[in-house]
Amino acid sequence: MAPIIKVENLHKHFKVARHRRGFLGAFRGLVSREYETVRAVDGISFEIGRGELVGYIGPNGAGKSTTIKILAGLLVPTGGTVIVNGRVPWRERKSHVATIGAVFGQRTTLWWDLPVIESLELLQYVYDVPPERFRRNLAEFREMLELDQFLETPVRSLSLGQRMRADLCAAMLHDPMLLFLDEPTIGLDVVAKERIRQFIRRINRERGTTIILTTHDLSDVEKLCERVMIIDHGRLLFDGELSELRNRFGGEREMVVYFDQEYDEVAVDGAEVVSRNGKRVTYRFDGHEITASELIGRISARHRIRDLSVREADIEDLVRKIYEGRLLEAPDAG
Amino acid sequence: MRRTIDIYLRLISVQIRSQMQYRASFLMSLSATALITFLGFGSLAMVFWRFDNIGGWTLWEVGFLYGMVEAAFGTMDLFFSGFNPHIFSRLIRMGTLDQILLRPLSVTLQVLGSSFIMKRLSRISQGALIFVISVAMLDVHWTPAKVAYLPLVFFGLMCFFGGFFVIGSTLTFWTVQPIEVVNIFTYGGREMIAYPMHIYERWMRDFFTYIVPAIFLNYYPALYFLEKPDPFGMPDFAPFLAPVVGVGMLVASFAFWSYGIRHYQSTAT
Ligand SMILES: Nc1ncnc2c1ncn2[C@@H]1O[C@H](COP(=O)(O)OP(=O)(O)O)[C@@H](O)[C@H]1O
Ligand SMILES: [Mg+2]
Repeated sequence: MAPIIKVENLHKHFKVARHRRGFLGAFRGLVSREYETVRAVDGISFEIGRGELVGYIGPNGAGKSTTIKILAGLLVPTGGTVIVNGRVPWRERKSHVATIGAVFGQRTTLWWDLPVIESLELLQYVYDVPPERFRRNLAEFREMLELDQFLETPVRSLSLGQRMRADLCAAMLHDPMLLFLDEPTIGLDVVAKERIRQFIRRINRERGTTIILTTHDLSDVEKLCERVMIIDHGRLLFDGELSELRNRFGGEREMVVYFDQEYDEVAVDGAEVVSRNGKRVTYRFDGHEITASELIGRISARHRIRDLSVREADIEDLVRKIYEGRLLEAPDAG
Repeated sequence: MRRTIDIYLRLISVQIRSQMQYRASFLMSLSATALITFLGFGSLAMVFWRFDNIGGWTLWEVGFLYGMVEAAFGTMDLFFSGFNPHIFSRLIRMGTLDQILLRPLSVTLQVLGSSFIMKRLSRISQGALIFVISVAMLDVHWTPAKVAYLPLVFFGLMCFFGGFFVIGSTLTFWTVQPIEVVNIFTYGGREMIAYPMHIYERWMRDFFTYIVPAIFLNYYPALYFLEKPDPFGMPDFAPFLAPVVGVGMLVASFAFWSYGIRHYQSTAT
């Protein structure tokens, strides 16, 4: 089947006025402005098939939101081609957005002063949803997202998690075939995150909605996505199965150990000392090769440990490892 | 078309209901605006009490100009609330414009439906009251043509000033903050044409005739309604340009607006 999204050599460059320092600089800035080009998206190509649930991840400023905005028809790219569901998003904005749903981080689509239910009802008219269809969807989402407790509350009084749930409902009321979620779990606690992840999973499985999800929280993708795209500095670093990513780059962890006293020699087999600060030493180790408890055993055989904590790799670690791997594999790549 | 109107009314009704939620502050601002407008006309009346005319026009003749502009501008201010540059620039800064672009409706329709400042009603009714009283005192010689033309002048004034709102808002795509210069045209223009144009210096009048043709929106129609001679010797059709100039202004400003939206979609501030 034809892919629902086809992106080829996508570029988006922003011109940003360079700020000059000091009073004289500000004055010169008035007279002649100097511009700097930010390559937010710098030559990205991919295809996404119907029904996929893709994690689009990368560190802050990588270009995730910019890509999503282009796919959603909000932003016109500098170069490249984009076909979403047979349309060029920004050329046919109205018919395009009628077939997609989108939630952008903490910005709400709902009317600030209206109770949630009234916002949802208004969207019924905005998207021209048949009443029967609207009733059925609303009933289903109310149950899935547990909306009932705050359906009559004005949007401005909702907690962040509640607002995200209301926004997810709003984005799905018109049965979009595509759902864009830009950092849907940002700022939420563990319980709220989990509820949202469950909803995303169910929507994808039960309705076959194609979903692209951006995040800089690796646990989002680990729990949800089979396919992962990693972007950094506007370029695609990895596009493939989550399992492959895990095998090649995953498993890296860090352990911070607080010793009873300052030791001269803290090195240990199977881990690398990343940083040292008095009694506090940070080790990095590969979870495939050695478990945390083995490592603790090796260290405590020689030194007295007072306290420790283990940290999973985050997206920055992952990106760094990909770069390192690339440097080793193909010195002239990129 | 019916769907458009239906959606528009629903969007506006949201705005009205939100304002009703803050009822106390709503009523306060309503009466405050009423007071300010009345004081405005009151001080004008004081001038007449001392000089008994302005450029040869009586209080009620000036009241005709004044009331007409106040009511028309106020009505525009109400319906174009969303295009008020100060309100619109907030829409951009808060990212609401992105939400608007995400909905399968015209952007213009949604901006019009994004704000509806009810307290403008006080200004509208003050203006209408001053206008009605002035007309009553003046003993205007009404003909069917004059009765038919009056709403067109009102409409022309609305479109004309609405155009300035749209231009002012469009400029915020580039500047983010609203620009004061636009206010000089919008609010300065409103103040100017509330008085007979022949009292101003030549260069000022020329500016508001040939560059910003505000003179045709209020002064010339008033000459026609009040059957006064034209001191500047314009062609006979000059009093009838109000709707043409107004609509032309609005159409041109919406062309600029579409250009601005395209610019926004390629930069997204
Ligand atoms: N409207 C804009 N104008 C100028 N620069 C922008 C704009 N939007 C994003 N950028 C820049 O483009 C880069 C990518 O931003 P973004 O797509 O928001 O990253 P992410 O969502 O991955 O954090 C950043 O360097 C950001 O500063
Ligand atoms: Mg982002």
